[in-house]
Amino acid sequence: MSVPTDKASIIKLLDDTLSRSPGEQTELVYIGQREATTRFAEDVIHQNMAAGDARVIVRLVKDGRVAISSTNDLTSAGLDRAMSDALQIAAWLAPDEGFPGFVQSPVAPVVEAFFPATADCSPAQRAGAVAAIVSAGRKSGIQSSGLYQTGTETIAVANSAGTRQFFAGTKAELSVSASDDPLLGQGWSTAAQRNVALIDAESIGRVAIDKAVRSRNPIAIPAGDYTVILEPAAVGQLLLFLGFLAFSGKSFAQGRGVFSGKLGETVTGANITIHEDPFLPEYPGVPFDYEGIPKQKVVLIENGIARGVVHDTRTAKMAGGTSTGHALPADNARGPYPKNLTLLPGTATMEEMIASMARGLLITHFWYLNYLNPMKAQVSGSTRDGTFLIANGAIMGPVKNLRATPAILEAFARAEQIGRERVFYPQYSAMMFVPAMKIAGFPFVEDTE
Amino acid sequence: MPDLKDIEQAGQLVASVRKSQASYADFRAVRITTEDVALADGQVDRIDRKVSFGFGVRALVDGAWGFAAAPGCDETSARTVLEEAIAIAHASALLMKEPVTLAPVKAVQADYKTLVITDPFAVELKEKVEFLRHLDSLLRETEGINQTETFLSFRREEKWFYSSAGAVITQTITHSGGGLSAAAMKSRREIGERSFPTSGGQHQTGGYEIITALNLEAGCKPTAEEAVTLLSAPVLPERTTTLLLSGDLVSLQIHESIGHPLELDRVFGSERNFSGTSFAAPGHLGTLPYAADFVTVTSDPSAPGGLGTYGYDDEGVPAAPVVLIKDGVLVDYLSSRETAARLNRQSSGAMRAESWFDLPLVRMTNINLTPGSGSLDSLIADTEDGVLIATPAAWSIDDRREKFQLGGEIAWEIKNGQRGQIYKNPVYSGTTVEFWRSCDRICGPEAYTIWGTPSCGKGQPGQNMRTGQGASPARFRNVKVGQAA
Repeated sequence: MSVPTDKASIIKLLDDTLSRSPGEQTELVYIGQREATTRFAEDVIHQNMAAGDARVIVRLVKDGRVAISSTNDLTSAGLDRAMSDALQIAAWLAPDEGFPGFVQSPVAPVVEAFFPATADCSPAQRAGAVAAIVSAGRKSGIQSSGLYQTGTETIAVANSAGTRQFFAGTKAELSVSASDDPLLGQGWSTAAQRNVALIDAESIGRVAIDKAVRSRNPIAIPAGDYTVILEPAAVGQLLLFLGFLAFSGKSFAQGRGVFSGKLGETVTGANITIHEDPFLPEYPGVPFDYEGIPKQKVVLIENGIARGVVHDTRTAKMAGGTSTGHALPADNARGPYPKNLTLLPGTATMEEMIASMARGLLITHFWYLNYLNPMKAQVSGSTRDGTFLIANGAIMGPVKNLRATPAILEAFARAEQIGRERVFYPQYSAMMFVPAMKIAGFPFVEDTE
Repeated sequence: MPDLKDIEQAGQLVASVRKSQASYADFRAVRITTEDVALADGQVDRIDRKVSFGFGVRALVDGAWGFAAAPGCDETSARTVLEEAIAIAHASALLMKEPVTLAPVKAVQADYKTLVITDPFAVELKEKVEFLRHLDSLLRETEGINQTETFLSFRREEKWFYSSAGAVITQTITHSGGGLSAAAMKSRREIGERSFPTSGGQHQTGGYEIITALNLEAGCKPTAEEAVTLLSAPVLPERTTTLLLSGDLVSLQIHESIGHPLELDRVFGSERNFSGTSFAAPGHLGTLPYAADFVTVTSDPSAPGGLGTYGYDDEGVPAAPVVLIKDGVLVDYLSSRETAARLNRQSSGAMRAESWFDLPLVRMTNINLTPGSGSLDSLIADTEDGVLIATPAAWSIDDRREKFQLGGEIAWEIKNGQRGQIYKNPVYSGTTVEFWRSCDRICGPEAYTIWGTPSCGKGQPGQNMRTGQGASPARFRNVKVGQAA
């Protein structure tokens, strides 16, 4: 089955389908993707794939009832079946009092996010980059693992109120894990760009390999509270959990969010400012959401004070506000959360942060962060891929991994320094632009043997 | 319904790939249909139906793999996708050490279907919504409950598998699941929450009869009452004690600290960059005392009712039980044809993909802890001093699957064989082997259930797999529980 990829074909497909809808109001969301992934481990490519798909999500209103279905059968018959499914579902629903209705949204700003070099990146190109990384690792006795992924994303929204939005973008991601033994040296590095030409594969590999070499023969240290320097990825991992726990309009409106009833209160130190910013020129986000609402930049924490959360039309109505343009696809129950988080930089270099530390830890990133106490934004997870002891302003050597249980806002409240350099860090379909951070009193509960 | 003739032609085209092009190829067309019905606070939160259909082709060329996939299915697109998979395999071959070899499997022609008594997709939505509204009203009979969720979830996977070795396998696998939760909230800063039968609901292979058997009505009152009690309960204080786990928490413990560490692709390092490696290296096979000497764990995709139950895996390997831990000792892994061949073993039939879009990976099937004897009540009665923790709420384990911290929704102090004080936010921690060796009793078949995990993440790109873990409540000695004040 051929899948349309260009704006004119996709909008025509949605227009034609809308014209046949049996609903009083109808919204159609087109989500297309093409993923090409070269995955490597043990110095060989062990998984290599390319796959594409496109689906349409139907949200149809009949007698005030709002029903949802989706299909990847984009023939007329397939789309009509999806609408018929939705119509059948609507018959069993009660009128939806919380449904705000579809509206005609202004056309979102056009962002430059599509790069042919990324869309056309071949498996041979990816294999060449991986081979260079593997070769560099071997010279240091290091094995390399990782993934090099390139692809496209295409999103279009059309509704019966007149909204028409279209976005096509590319994305490229490289991550490298380097190790010579699971118990010995381990390192990791990553990069994400819209334009694959901006990914310096050898440099990313070199950072991971160097860290693996430096983290050989780690020593055990006891659990306890330490001052830490979190590299940007570690900051990003904590930030994403705040996205779920504090910045989501759904949990906020339900009274279960960390920010529920707390807007205007001081929640971190004054040196913390966090925005949801889909319009960073270096990595533009999708400029509208899955309801076709143009995205807004949202101030989430300003100088330590809780300022806002992100909304879709439903959670905005629940909370008495307006949508910020952060709806997820209608078949997703999670509710809106930010996908382009930025933490404003400070002034410190990594060298200055290390030099200022009497005793503490340098952390590359975490593994398996998960909820521990959501009402406190507390999570649990272990350090990974290079944890180093710092004493008297210098890196003394590697230490074994530890389990951390930070309450994220409390940890951010103890941020002593924030890095001046920021990097893009992708996780779970969110893109974060984050600096390193030095935090006092970071809790570790599980010591290493 | 997909056009079966198109699928057959496409499958045969891939299966007849020329040896000069690929030494092996397989074709897997999949149609997945899902229906989710959920109420929040008594109102319909979502009812949605999804259909996804497409196919994927794996090709082994010069000892290296390529995979490509596309939506829909016909002979023309199969030719294109096969050629793309072959081209990708050529690129993979640029970076290889040893050519991939595959453990042998007998090519079969077979048709497998889940036993379904009542087709869940044929049950009227009205009945489903009214049932959930009824559950909601039962939850709200308890004073203090101000947030509720009730839900049902159904999934049907139809698969057509063809291989160049001659396999032609069709399967229809049906899953049904449901559950509920109740929360008591106070001043937007405190919450007590419980779920039933477990967090995220219970999901199994079968039809609507699964929902009936869950007996969700009976769970409403205790669930709601415990949620209210938790609102004012203290946090479980830190100490080292005897730990009793509910069956669904034992299921989570099996999943995290037995299932994942024994995935042989992970053991070899394939997941190094994402979900990590495993402490359970091949050198431990047959020698590592993984658990107490009465503990036996199997992988059994043939077990009726589990969420990891099927007829054949996504390489055409027939479902059959495999002992992973025998009398406490590690004796086998979850494997694919490729990973098993590296140890000169047979595949355990654990190669599975989330959908047609995805490349199969080594995945948990039903990882079952052989039951012992007695009920949970008898286990409690047999415990002088300890803590019972129930229902998964928090989980995290390091990337070698050794050190973990897991938590439950609720805990009870156990004193002199009786339940006492209730605690909220209970957690416990330990090290995989040390923890399983500390197991001193497992409850019996009367307390045994294959718990379903409907979304286990693994792989890059990430895939969500549906797995099962057979478990009864169990007891462990000298475990660190609770959090420091």
